[in-house]
Amino acid sequence: MALALKETFSEKTNKALGVNSEDAKLTLTYLSLAFIILFLGGTLGLLQGLNRAGLLELPSWLNYYQVLTAHGILLVVVFTTLFMVGYFYSGVSHTLGGLLPKVRKIAWTALGSMLFGVALVAATVFMGEASVMYTFYPPMQASPWFYIGLVFVVLGVWLAAFGVFISAANWKKRNRGQHLPMFSFFAVGGFLLLFLGSLGVTAEVLMLIPWAFGWTETVNVMLSRTLFWAFGHTAVNVWYLVAVSAWYVAVPKIIGGRTFSDTLARVVVILSVILNVPGGFHHQIIDPAIGEGIKFMHVFMSLSISLPSLLTAFAMFAIFERAGRKKGAKGLLGWIKKLPWGDVRFLAPMIAMITFIPAGAGGIAQTNNQLNQVVHNSLWIVGHFHLTVGVTVALTFFGITYWLIPYLSKRELTPKLNKLGVIQTLMWTVGMYLMAGAMHWVGLLGSPRRTSFSTYGDHATALGWSPYLFSLAIGGTLLFLAVVLMVYIAFHLMFKAPKGNTEFPIAEPEDDAAPTPQWTERWGLWIVIAFAIISMGYVIPVVDMIVNAPPGSPPFRTW
Amino acid sequence: MKQAIYGLVLYVFLMLPPVASLAESIMTVHMHMQMPLFVIAGMLMAPYLKQRFPGFFSKWNHNGVPGILLFFIIMVYWMLPRAMDEALAYQSVEIFKFISLPFLAGVPLRDSWNKLGSIGQNVILVSFSIISGLMAWLYIFSPTQLCNNYLKVEQITLGWAFLFLGLSIIIYFVQQFFVDQSQYE
Ligand code: HEM
Ligand SMILES: [Cu+2]
Repeated sequence: MALALKETFSEKTNKALGVNSEDAKLTLTYLSLAFIILFLGGTLGLLQGLNRAGLLELPSWLNYYQVLTAHGILLVVVFTTLFMVGYFYSGVSHTLGGLLPKVRKIAWTALGSMLFGVALVAATVFMGEASVMYTFYPPMQASPWFYIGLVFVVLGVWLAAFGVFISAANWKKRNRGQHLPMFSFFAVGGFLLLFLGSLGVTAEVLMLIPWAFGWTETVNVMLSRTLFWAFGHTAVNVWYLVAVSAWYVAVPKIIGGRTFSDTLARVVVILSVILNVPGGFHHQIIDPAIGEGIKFMHVFMSLSISLPSLLTAFAMFAIFERAGRKKGAKGLLGWIKKLPWGDVRFLAPMIAMITFIPAGAGGIAQTNNQLNQVVHNSLWIVGHFHLTVGVTVALTFFGITYWLIPYLSKRELTPKLNKLGVIQTLMWTVGMYLMAGAMHWVGLLGSPRRTSFSTYGDHATALGWSPYLFSLAIGGTLLFLAVVLMVYIAFHLMFKAPKGNTEFPIAEPEDDAAPTPQWTERWGLWIVIAFAIISMGYVIPVVDMIVNAPPGSPPFRTW
Repeated sequence: MKQAIYGLVLYVFLMLPPVASLAESIMTVHMHMQMPLFVIAGMLMAPYLKQRFPGFFSKWNHNGVPGILLFFIIMVYWMLPRAMDEALAYQSVEIFKFISLPFLAGVPLRDSWNKLGSIGQNVILVSFSIISGLMAWLYIFSPTQLCNNYLKVEQITLGWAFLFLGLSIIIYFVQQFFVDQSQYE
């Protein structure tokens, strides 16, 4: 009882005085590291862009494939994870009344584990011992320390996930009969999905380590690829879910609107958790050793994932229209003009959302067998995920930064900084569209991904790619400048911006909103259904891959 | 009523010859997708049938035990390798499958579940996890091919599917004790 009283008290002070300083220290550390990683990864991206256009030859001690491996891992795994933890922990602290000391400790330990892991991974890559790309497909074999580094990264992710689960369970005990606040609901869903997705890759890495040490001679290549994509696919959908959480929770508040439907948002989270993991197969449409029947079934599993996205698209437009009409908008599309386009906290996530329309459409196209054959392993794919992860996710993260960091550092976003933010957003958008557009197009013309500059002996086809690759490099250069600007803004907001009080934007439901049904809180059931669907997707092909396995492959070093 | 229509649509869809033969061409899909979907179709139609024939259900299944026993028997019958073979070989057995799973398993399950109370429910969950475990053991380690129609590799696959099914039921069963819904609601 006394404890409960004290805790509700701390919840109230938290609301009144803003963030608890120890929580802020934790989350700001995660966010600063995320932006440092973004800077490193962006620099490597620039090197790649310039190389592909034939403008820059990389030295032998830092060749294209080392750069590419580091770029992929740092940006699509490390930057995103660090940001996710920093952002979700801030929101959990805000909506659940401060982090428990125990949870804070877990989160610091998680950070230590991740950093140690990343240091091992980066060291092996830059020493030239692990040019295996972020997918680390066997039979290419990296140094065992590369894989051991990955184990520590995963361990850190699990710790961070359990910290959130503990916070949520504890809050529920103190607030019987109440729904977990929507932000924390997203956090639980996101970390749960990441946890489920990482089970497969953990099994894979534990098979690769003895193989890399030479204790086992061969490795099952198909099985490894399948286990990898259970993770790789799920991970990007987790990053997307993190972005979506800001669209549902923060964006409506920023534009002066309300949430569309609390229930719908929770259903989107639940569906994402349940349906996602088997989608990994759409990365293996060209892989041999998976039967046609299975591939056919997985088209549906893969397309089912677009359902929550379509629900989200519907909800977002409804929110915008209602907010616009409340401000007096007339006509069919008058509400568009009423949106705060000059406010970077809205502009960045809005461009992110709009970009998901073509990006998602491209994804739906790629998941079809025949269309996949056209673009598989071409630069089209790289263009696709620079739209999804590079714009939809990254730009939403940037949009979050403009209020999250000042909220944590007890500072304010000045109009001048807002303007700089708008410039950054536009530079990023133009850069990404130039680069990703060129990648899509030149991919259709046959230019492969993951290949350093070559004219293939001045072959006419390859020479025809030059103008596109040049535009890729221009986009990449613009992007690099945008990265520099973003990192500057993030640290400025952290240390230099004027002191003040920034609120953590949490949208409220409409006054006449229907109550959220209790079944949305039945996490036990969602986990079991997710587990059952994962089994449905994986048991048949995985047993086939193991029982009918070829002898296995010895290691190769292609670099 | 809406549910009953969804159930009926699902029921008819599953019986369409191309759908049925596709589902039956893979052993695991046959047992772990087609059959449960028939049960679900029956569960969706149950409220409508109860509304039409209220006397029947209260007379024959007032405490839920007869219904769940019927469900149990039908489910166990369809787990026998021989039953699956016959469904593929004889039209009459196929038709029996189409009728028994929704109406003799799905409908009584839905009618009985809440009547059973938590002890009865737990007994069912535990029994099914044990049966799944036994089936997993049977199908994974059987030295011979059990079905005329399915190869041994499919049999092993089905065994693993049973293992995961059993695990899913156990996770669900166990989480009830750790996550006391009433504590949270
Ligand atoms: C400064 C901004 C960026 C530039 C200039 C850039 C450029 C590139 C280029 C040129 C490639 C290599 C294409 C190839 O040879 O296959 C690439 C790959 C990749 N990029 Fe970026 N990128 C940028 C930002 C990002 C961001 C923000 C993310 C994710 C959050 C990202 C994730 C990736 C991934 C996962 C790969 C694939 C690596 C692989 O195939 O192994 N990039 N990028
Ligand atoms: Cu995917």
